[in-house]
Amino acid sequence: MTKPDFRPAADEAWDALLRQLPHQPQARPRPFFYGRVQARLAAQASAARPLVPGWLRRPAFAALLGALVLSLSGDCAAGGTAAGAAGPVYAAPPMPPR
Amino acid sequence: MDSAVTAEAELVVQLQQGSEAAFRTLVEQYQDRIYRVVFSLLRSPEEAEDVAQEVFVEVHQTIGRFRGEASLSTWLYRLATSRALKNLRRARAKKRFAYFTSLLGFGNEVLHEAPTHAHPLALLEGQQQLGLLLEHIARLPGQQQVAFTLRHEQELSYEQIAAVLNTTVPAVESLLFRARKTLRERVQPNFRHD
Repeated sequence: MTKPDFRPAADEAWDALLRQLPHQPQARPRPFFYGRVQARLAAQASAARPLVPGWLRRPAFAALLGALVLSLSGDCAAGGTAAGAAGPVYAAPPMPPR
Repeated sequence: MDSAVTAEAELVVQLQQGSEAAFRTLVEQYQDRIYRVVFSLLRSPEEAEDVAQEVFVEVHQTIGRFRGEASLSTWLYRLATSRALKNLRRARAKKRFAYFTSLLGFGNEVLHEAPTHAHPLALLEGQQQLGLLLEHIARLPGQQQVAFTLRHEQELSYEQIAAVLNTTVPAVESLLFRARKTLRERVQPNFRHD
């Protein structure tokens, strides 16, 4: 690498060059910067907001909700299947005469 | 206590209470300074806008944790420079990866130099040296680039730079010495001595 020229004239040129740096035309953000920051905050807030409530995202609560829905479904299909798998189904005794 | 310091402390309290008016004041008070410092590190208006927005979003989300160990402006400069450096590192890594894959023949795309948004002044006759200097500043190691930019473009004191970089004044002096030496070696051979 060539050795830099450290003569006084070169020093002056270097200092003059450094002095130009703060005097460049100042960069500025486009107008309505605050509005864009607000929009970004709102977008992040809506992205962070979950679609389902927090308690539903816990497996125990979700399973409990599922079981509750099944038990209240009315036809007891799940219960019947479970009973069928457990053993033979006996016919109900005849109704007594009135 | 200095009135500016009192005003800043009041602003921080209002921000921590969730005041939107205080947040607007903060953004309007610091947006130019933050944008300028980020722009001087990234040299891209789009990236500077993006990073400056991220800085204020981060402030909004983390102001509750601000304990006032540093001044508000120091904290903002710290967020801005660290985010800008992260962007620079990502861009450099991407460039290295693209170069590496092009050497191995994986990528067929032609490697283009990122557009250097040359400063309008640098385009004028007799301003080539400034353009060359800006180009070489962009190639300095991250910490040196931040220290040099904060000192010579934003005109921050050594103490302020040390606070932003979370280091000591002698460490800043060392960063600046190395940055100036490198830049002078690279730029000076091109000086014309009429």
